[in-house]
Amino acid sequence: MSIYIDKAAQISIQQPLCNEWFSNPSMPTDRLCKFVRPDFKQYISAAISRRMGTALKCTLSSASACVSEEKRSNLDGILTGTGLGSIENTENFLLAMLEGEEGLSPSNFMQSTHNTLGSQVAIAFKCHGYNITYAHRGTSFDSALMNAVVKFQLNEYKTALVNGVDEMTEKYFQLFDHIGFWKDRNVTIEDVRNATSPGTFAGENSVSLLLTTQPSEQPLCELCDTQLFYRPSDEQLKTCVEKLCHAFNINRIDAIVIGNNGDKENDAEYRRLAQLLTPDAKQIIYKHLFGESFTMSGLGIYVAATCLKEKRVPAHITMDNEALENPQTILVLNHFKQLDYSITLLKSC
Amino acid sequence: MTEKIVVTGYGIISSIGAGVEKTREALLKEEKSIGRVAHLNTCHTDIPCGEVKESDDELKKALGIASDQIITRTPLLAMMAMKEAISTSRLTDQISTAFINGTTVGGMEKSEKYYYDFFEGKHTEYISAHDCGAGTELVSHLFGHFDLMTTISTACSSAANSVILGADLIKTGRVDAAIVGGTESLSKFHLNGFNSLMILEHQPCRPFEKSNQGLNLGEGAGYIVIERESVAKARGANIICELSGYANTCDAFHQTATSETSEGAYRAMTNALLNAHLKTNEIDYINAHGTGTSDNDLHESIALKRVFGENIPPFSSTKAFTGHTTSAAGAVESVISILALQYGFIPANLGFSEPIEATGLIPVQKTLHRTLNHVMTNSFGFGGNDSSCIFSKYQPS
Repeated sequence: MSIYIDKAAQISIQQPLCNEWFSNPSMPTDRLCKFVRPDFKQYISAAISRRMGTALKCTLSSASACVSEEKRSNLDGILTGTGLGSIENTENFLLAMLEGEEGLSPSNFMQSTHNTLGSQVAIAFKCHGYNITYAHRGTSFDSALMNAVVKFQLNEYKTALVNGVDEMTEKYFQLFDHIGFWKDRNVTIEDVRNATSPGTFAGENSVSLLLTTQPSEQPLCELCDTQLFYRPSDEQLKTCVEKLCHAFNINRIDAIVIGNNGDKENDAEYRRLAQLLTPDAKQIIYKHLFGESFTMSGLGIYVAATCLKEKRVPAHITMDNEALENPQTILVLNHFKQLDYSITLLKSC
Repeated sequence: MTEKIVVTGYGIISSIGAGVEKTREALLKEEKSIGRVAHLNTCHTDIPCGEVKESDDELKKALGIASDQIITRTPLLAMMAMKEAISTSRLTDQISTAFINGTTVGGMEKSEKYYYDFFEGKHTEYISAHDCGAGTELVSHLFGHFDLMTTISTACSSAANSVILGADLIKTGRVDAAIVGGTESLSKFHLNGFNSLMILEHQPCRPFEKSNQGLNLGEGAGYIVIERESVAKARGANIICELSGYANTCDAFHQTATSETSEGAYRAMTNALLNAHLKTNEIDYINAHGTGTSDNDLHESIALKRVFGENIPPFSSTKAFTGHTTSAAGAVESVISILALQYGFIPANLGFSEPIEATGLIPVQKTLHRTLNHVMTNSFGFGGNDSSCIFSKYQPS
């Protein structure tokens, strides 16, 4: 049994629901970059859309762009990762409540729980399959992806939709600023290639992947496996990569996606591990284009899968500023504060 | 056939007490605990809740944690239950183990208290304690080393879904054991949220009652230790029971209301039975979700009738004991179901007098003592995130 990434869709701070970022990226210039909104009307009726928060509208749009109508109710699972859920709604309810505990309207509360995003996709898709939401900081998306792989391995799935969604409000941005998450200036590609100071910049993302065992004519790539780790030893990570390569008959990893974001400590760990795990692989960076969030690793998978499909890693997303032609295998590495780690292996079809 | 998954340890804290022994005693004595909140700072003091008796400081003391350590109430409750789960199972990190935690409130109970202070640069150490995963990380330090760790947030079915993921991770060989469950403290945020939905009862809740008005919120935590049968046997663990089946489905109807046919609940129970290879007449007791709201109780009754026909097994909701512990409910009620199985009793559905007219189902009203072989527990959440788990007497392979 092989699992394929059959379709993928992203809404982020780049042009939405397309791959404009691949050939013609826009360079973020703010410390907090907000979603570039697609035309929501294509995916959500105006009457419903008015009552929905931004994160939810983006989730429904990327999910809908990924799954054709006839396949929606037959998905075996809808799995979602979100570090913070719909914080716009959470904040609205919290602020109203702090003003006074009487006469509160429930609509913001109803959308505040993390699982609203994934369950609203199920409601829109009329899908009764497995439905789950992960909220585990920087590996929220990776947890959802791993759970999907587990269900495929148990032969319980033929198709699944995996989403990774996080928004960032002005207020939450300020709070994170207090604890040193962000740089005091905008982050450039030079920062991401060679970080010398702490902090990164904020992005927003809704990424959806359609996984299947029965791919259409042009799937993006094959998803070999996703493994999660907590405070792993170097040996554990090395063994994992070796075992995966052996299991999938891979003798060379052409590229590794690393989550450099301009934060010195964060990036040093990626550089160290890339050297340890895949010393000869081309190093791919992506957060200079998309920013940072708890589920930005979903974009890492998206970027890798796109490169495999396009048979090219463009120079503007590599550490050495040189393109790579015809990559066959890409490893995607993610870590959150050197606590939670994930490794995903993708190969071309 | 895949290897059995067995339960080798458990831990619990709720308004009826800390620990499995205290919990069993309170259930058997039909002790009531729903009442006025003492620790939660809300103007809604007329709304009764199932609040854990201990303050944060008392919990810290019981756990041997310095009183000035930065930790919110959700992980404090979790630590109480986690400690007991580790000690009853005698599990060590010699076995490759996952920690799967369910929570939704996370650190909200402190964020709502210090929210404006944060912007003035005060109490900022609680900012990074706000998200759901932050608590999981803190609680994990009680165990030597977890190989894998994550946090599930599917509202009121979070803990049940943790049980399910843990079992699937063992089945696929990713780990040999898992500590699974959930934790939730009361917060002003969700008390007001549920109140704005007008589903809070102003007296102790009465699940499955004709004239029911709503639910009581509760707080607590529960964890169970599950592992591969061969691993448990090899280390000489005390096997309490089996996790024999489970299912996660989605009602896919509405964010807070249930479909007329209770599709999600029906499928969760049906698929869990299939997963356990059990027939409907083999279930001896159902620990119902039974929140006390008319929407849940009517629709859970409809689903029970669809799954079990005329022969619905004895069922009760224990939420009149603990209140609705939301993200922890799946674990609190898994531990209660395991105790029922282990000690041969069916806990009472407190407060019931008259059945819902449309369905006429009557829960177990007084504690029953009898041998149980298979027990089902239901957890249904906002957004129609519906899950069922089945625990069974251990039959060695």
